[in-house]
Amino acid sequence: MGSAAPPESPRRFELTLPATRPGFALGFDELRRGLDTLDLEPRARFSAELVFEEVVANVLRHGTRPDTDTRVSVEVQLADGALRLTFLDDGLPFDPRGRPDPEPPSDLEHAETGGRGLMLIRSVSSSMEYQRTPEGQNRLTVLVRGQQRGGPG
Amino acid sequence: MKMDISEQDGVLRIGLVGRLDTPGVDAIETRLTAACVPGAARAIVDLSGVEFIGSLGLRMFITIARALSRRSGKMVLYAPQGFVAQVFETASLGDIIPVRPDAAAALAAVKA
Repeated sequence: MGSAAPPESPRRFELTLPATRPGFALGFDELRRGLDTLDLEPRARFSAELVFEEVVANVLRHGTRPDTDTRVSVEVQLADGALRLTFLDDGLPFDPRGRPDPEPPSDLEHAETGGRGLMLIRSVSSSMEYQRTPEGQNRLTVLVRGQQRGGPG
Repeated sequence: MKMDISEQDGVLRIGLVGRLDTPGVDAIETRLTAACVPGAARAIVDLSGVEFIGSLGLRMFITIARALSRRSGKMVLYAPQGFVAQVFETASLGDIIPVRPDAAAALAAVKA
């Protein structure tokens, strides 16, 4: 036996929700039940919920097609202390990377109301990868800062 | 999402408890707007019971605060906790909507 700790076994769950307001609410409940099983430290837990909120809200606002039922699949994986969320949706193409953050507001009258979702995702993530799949789906993978409770620093 | 609204000395006191995610905002936005905006309220909002907020929650506060300022009303938020407070800092919202540490400071700010 060496001195290295045994590799942490990856833990994961996935869920699928319709890109609708009721679907969002039910999907969020399911996500939170899944996150309960991963025993995350509080910051990673909050960050995972924030990423889910912003990505799914974006699909609802910009990605749905009028003639089809858009669905969002989410895979959450914890491996080697890193938390990865992968979102797959069959909505309109949308690459969020490189979208500029809104200008810092100078006063209330000129503050932009929207555009802060991606800023919030960036603030809690260490990487964001986007791919339009050959099957015509958006695949967005976000690596969340933070780790499992009691995990490596 | 729970919301309590009372009035004292001409100031609306609003307590929010729960999650200001998309479903949470959907649950309260219409009532909160109706309580504040038509009467050009001076309102203080207790965020100490809010355990989550996303960009839609921020957007709700900006929209209401802007409508109030156009009518000479005012909204002051107070006591955001932990990660919720960090979301406010990330979005630099404190530059345009006052955020205070407690009710007394919020009252002073809303009457200023």
